[in-house]
Amino acid sequence: MSLCKTRLQEERKQWRKDHPFGFFAKPVKDTDGSLNLKVWNAGIPGKSTTIWQDAVYPVTINFPDEYPSKPPKVKFPAGFYHPNVYPSGTICLSILNEEQDWRPAITLKQIVLGVQELLDSPNPESPAQEPAWKAFSKDRSLYEKKVKEQAKKYASADHN
Amino acid sequence: MAKDTYLKKILGGDQYERVRNSKVLMVGAGGIGCELLKDLVLTGYGQIHIVDLDTITLSNLNRQFLFRRTDIDKSKSLTVANAVQSFNYLNTKLIPHHGNIMDSKQFPIHWWNQFDYIFNALDNLEARRHVNKMCLFLKKPLMESGTTGFEGQIQPIFPYYSECFDCQAKETPKTYPVCTIRSTPSSPVHCITWAKEFLFHQLFDEADQVGVNDAEKIAGETDDKEEQANLAKEANELIELRNSINSKDSNGFINELIEKIFKVDIERLLLIETLWKARTKPIPLPYDEYKSQLEELVNNPLSESILKNETKVWSVLENLYVLYKSSVALQTRINGGEPFITFDKDDEDTLDFVVSSANLRSSIFHIETKSKFDIKQIAGNIIPAIATTNAIISGFSCLGGTSYFKHDPKSIGQNYSSLMEDSRTVYISIRPNKYITSALLSEPNPKCASSSISRGVLEINENDLKSKSLSWLVNSLIDMYGYEEEGLSISLGQSKLIYDVDFNDNLDTILSNINGFKDGELILIQDDDDVFENLELYITVKKDQPTELPDIKLGKKIFEKEEEDEDDEEDKEDYSMEEINAGDTIIIDDGDEIELIDEEIEPAYKKRKVDN
Repeated sequence: MSLCKTRLQEERKQWRKDHPFGFFAKPVKDTDGSLNLKVWNAGIPGKSTTIWQDAVYPVTINFPDEYPSKPPKVKFPAGFYHPNVYPSGTICLSILNEEQDWRPAITLKQIVLGVQELLDSPNPESPAQEPAWKAFSKDRSLYEKKVKEQAKKYASADHN
Repeated sequence: MAKDTYLKKILGGDQYERVRNSKVLMVGAGGIGCELLKDLVLTGYGQIHIVDLDTITLSNLNRQFLFRRTDIDKSKSLTVANAVQSFNYLNTKLIPHHGNIMDSKQFPIHWWNQFDYIFNALDNLEARRHVNKMCLFLKKPLMESGTTGFEGQIQPIFPYYSECFDCQAKETPKTYPVCTIRSTPSSPVHCITWAKEFLFHQLFDEADQVGVNDAEKIAGETDDKEEQANLAKEANELIELRNSINSKDSNGFINELIEKIFKVDIERLLLIETLWKARTKPIPLPYDEYKSQLEELVNNPLSESILKNETKVWSVLENLYVLYKSSVALQTRINGGEPFITFDKDDEDTLDFVVSSANLRSSIFHIETKSKFDIKQIAGNIIPAIATTNAIISGFSCLGGTSYFKHDPKSIGQNYSSLMEDSRTVYISIRPNKYITSALLSEPNPKCASSSISRGVLEINENDLKSKSLSWLVNSLIDMYGYEEEGLSISLGQSKLIYDVDFNDNLDTILSNINGFKDGELILIQDDDDVFENLELYITVKKDQPTELPDIKLGKKIFEKEEEDEDDEEDKEDYSMEEINAGDTIIIDDGDEIELIDEEIEPAYKKRKVDN
């Protein structure tokens, strides 16, 4: 669909020209040597002074044919530890939900900033996985320990 | 009296002559197409090309009146062209093409160029978008039409003068988040989707490769296999139940099914307290209370009449009865050797199972229950196609098309400003006093990805294609259109980015070695500096002439940045646009008054169109 293509090319351009510090985002390279604008790899830094700091968390972003009428699907690696992330890694976030707050005007930049925000401000009202959600609601010290362990796994290069 | 006496009177001698001498294209020979072709032939068009890729099926015959029973399995386009000969009084030349209009080999851009006017009589968005785009490339006038049940509309399109087909956002079919379907339904359609896509599918349909995977179907998502882990217990038990279909007797199977689905699973959901903070808690089905009554019903042959009453909203007990009967029937079929059963709205057993289980779930979640008739419409995505609506819309399409010939096409060329006055978008509906309404054509939506873009044909010499590299093309584009050095990006086809300043891997690649760079494909060029508007080029490969870039002066890009700042206003604006599309906003003929009608009517494009 032409709107999808036009918009994704535009998103790529705007991101190249200007993007928030510490983030990266790039369409994946296809076997034929072109960049596939429908699938992006991105990195989301944990905010400093939070338990998520000093790490860059990888996400893949899949844009459907109906984008921007429909939101992209944003995923952490499977098994990512966070109350609002499904076991598959899919992120449960209102701006990424067609029935909730998704609007076609939301840009890639706003999406990744939204995901960064979600990291340290989970929404206990919409649990997506048992372990992190349970720990977050009932055993905060276990939760923080697990999050910090995960941060080590995704530690950004300059803090290693 | 001559056959064209009245036509001459109605259209006037000059206009009639122009119609007589014109060559038009009709895309689609189905519901609207049959009606429209009759109208076009009787209007005396000189030459009509007809394109359709379909063959005739039995279900077409009730309204596609040019087809007979003996035509089943024949090509629609070839058949209509023959069928209208019996009343082709004015000797219109008919040229049928059996093929897909989106096939750029069969219908290359120069083929499109021969037509004076194009009529769409299509039933899907994709083909409509393609025709719209070809018309934009060639600046050809297009008449768009569509019907849904009693509603219909025509929209004349004059490229870059009036709104194009893509100027108004078309909503795509709704999908539902898995959690809504599986855990927190709030409307009948959620329960119907659950019954059809999850419960029925898991129990009777072809098994998915890896365990349970309803989500893919529900949400069109790709990777929900693990998400299921959350509800794994529920689903695994269902698999066990499925595996027991063969070994269990009916009573055992059905009791276990009801017990699990409508009681145990719900009780389990209730344990997740956060789900119910802001929602009404579901109430598990007190199955024990119904057991004896259900048994009585099942043992009484007279109860069969319940199944026949398709327009009644069944009680919980009646739904249990229907579930019982349909489960027995389905179990018997599986045991009888059917490896799996797929939901089909016309397969009564499958429909009864879905209706009753959807209703039982609805009642548990305090949601309105529905009749079998209603659920059949929803589960089968059925919007009835109505011959009369098609006939009326075709009439408007034909009449609207003739107004293009009021002016001499040769003198106006592709300046359509005078036609904007003469043309109307027409809506029809069955709302009292709003049977027929019309609206002046609007100007193109500046944010439309199809209209607010420059287009042209890139004629590329075959030798250049095979010997020149991408950098040659990039430099040619810079020279021709005035982009800054390295200041452009190029994408190819649907979503391949082949060049921008940070991605120059392909610069030395020979054009013909770039996957997809070939005849009939499109490239989209964007200006990095956001000065020039987007440029879309249609690639056509020529043997005997030098490569030529279209001579276009690129317009200034309209800034989209503002969008972010005026979010709220934007939303409102979008909403009212949707309303116009739905035919809910009626614009009185002079375009001054807008009247909003309160009735909640779903926009036509939200539903799957069965026929247009």
